[in-house]
Amino acid sequence: MKRQQFEDAALPHLNDLYRTATRLLADSTKADDVVQDVFLQAWKSFDRFEVGTNCRAWLYKILFHVVNHHRRKWFNVRMVKESEEILDQVAASPEPIAENLTDAEILSALDRVPQDFRAVVLLVDVDEFSYKEASGILSVPIGTVMSRLSRGRKLLREQLEETAQSYGIGKGKLEGRTA
Amino acid sequence: MKLVHFGENTCARIRRYMDSYINNELLVETNHEVLRHLEACPACAAEVESRTRIKARLKSAVQNQSVPEDLQERLQAVLREDSRRSIAWTRWVSAAAAVLVVAAGLWFELPRWTRPALPDLADRRGQDAFIRKASASLSAVLKVGLGDHIHCAIFRKYPKNPPSVEEMAQKLGPAYQELVPLVKARVPEGYRIILAHQCGFQGRRFVHLTLTNGSSLLSLVITRRQPGESMQALPVSDHASGVPVYQAAAQNYDVAGFETDQFLAYVISDLGAQQNLQIAYALAPSVHQFLAAVRS
Repeated sequence: MKRQQFEDAALPHLNDLYRTATRLLADSTKADDVVQDVFLQAWKSFDRFEVGTNCRAWLYKILFHVVNHHRRKWFNVRMVKESEEILDQVAASPEPIAENLTDAEILSALDRVPQDFRAVVLLVDVDEFSYKEASGILSVPIGTVMSRLSRGRKLLREQLEETAQSYGIGKGKLEGRTA
Repeated sequence: MKLVHFGENTCARIRRYMDSYINNELLVETNHEVLRHLEACPACAAEVESRTRIKARLKSAVQNQSVPEDLQERLQAVLREDSRRSIAWTRWVSAAAAVLVVAAGLWFELPRWTRPALPDLADRRGQDAFIRKASASLSAVLKVGLGDHIHCAIFRKYPKNPPSVEEMAQKLGPAYQELVPLVKARVPEGYRIILAHQCGFQGRRFVHLTLTNGSSLLSLVITRRQPGESMQALPVSDHASGVPVYQAAAQNYDVAGFETDQFLAYVISDLGAQQNLQIAYALAPSVHQFLAAVRS
C-alpha cells in the first residue's frame, strides 16, 4: 500500500529525473545508477515526505545530493572553484549564435558548461522550476540561482557558438540543418 | 518605421533583467519596463528572441533524450526487493523482540517456576518444612504472618465458587465481619475475596482474608501480639497516613506488616514488592483504625 503510494507520487517524474541526471553527469550509465539511488533514498525516507507538497522538487533535491555524492566519488573535483575559474575565462560577451544545431550538438555544448551553472540551467530552463524552487533544491540563495543562471546561459551560448564555428560555418550557413 | 536610439546604459540594464524576464520572474513594474523597452529596441528584442529560442531548443534537446525502456521496470523491482527485505527485517526485529520479551519474562518468572513443589495437604511435616524454608530469611515477627499465609492460602484447594461476602463475613464472627467490606472497598479493581475466616496455625489464632486477581493470591493476615513481639525494630518502608509499614521479601513472597497495640497485621502476596506495598498502604490506615477499636 505504502509502496504503491510512493510509486504513484514519484514514478511520473522518473524520465525527467533520468534526463536531467544524464546531462548533469554527461553519462547515461551513471545517470541510471544515480536515478535508482535517488528513488531508493526517496522510498526509504517517504515516511518523512508530506503528501501534498512538491514531490517533484523533493526528488530533484535528492537527485542533487546523490549526484554531488557520486561526483565526489567519481571525479574528486572542486566543483565551485573550478566553475568560477572557468567563468573568468569566458567573461566576454558572446556573439549571436546559431540556433539550428542538432540535439547532440546542443547537449554536447551543455555538457561543457561547468556543472554548477549547468545545474541551474537544467533546473530553470529545462525542468521549469522557479528560482525559489531551484534555490531550495540546490540549497543556495535565490541570488546565487539568478547569477548562475545568467552565467550558465552565457556559457552555453559561448559553447554553441564554438560548435558552430567548429563546422567552419557562420550563423546563416547553419540554416536548414536538421535537429 | 521610426527608429528610437537608447543609450547603452538602458540596454545594459534591460539585458541584466533579460534572463529573469524570459523566466517570468520579474516584478510586474520591471516586467512592464522591459516590455516597453523591447517594443522600441530591436537589438534587445532580437536578443530576447534568440535567448528564448535557445532555451526552447535546449529543453527540447534534453527532453528528446531516450530513456531506457526497462528503467521503470528495473526500478520497481529494486523497490519491491527493498520492501521485501524491509518487511523481512521488520519481522526479524519483531521476532527478536518477542524472544527478548519471553526471555525477560522467563528471567523474572523463573523463581516462581523453580519454587519447590507444594507438599500434599495431608503431609503436615512436609508443609512445616516448606514454610520454614520459605520464611527462613524473615525476622521472627514477619514469619508469623507468612506462615499462616502459606499454610492457609497456598496449600488450600479453593472451591470454584467461593462463598458469598455475607457468608464469609458471618464466618469471621461479629468482632471482625466488618473487615470484609472494608477490605473489599480498598483493594484495587479486579481483586475479589475468596476466603475470610478465623484459623489456627502453630498454636496461634488468625483472622485471614484471601483475595485473588485471577493469577495471584494475596492475604490479609491478623493475629494478636504476643509479649515482646514488635515490628518496630524493622526498617520502615513508609508511613501510610501515619501508620508505619514494614516490608521484607522471602523467596517468592513479599510480606508487608503493620501493628497496633494488640495486633500484628500482614499483607502478603507474590505480586512483587511494589504492588504488594501499594496494597498494604491502601489497607493499613483503615485496618489499623478498625483493629484499634476491637475490644480485647
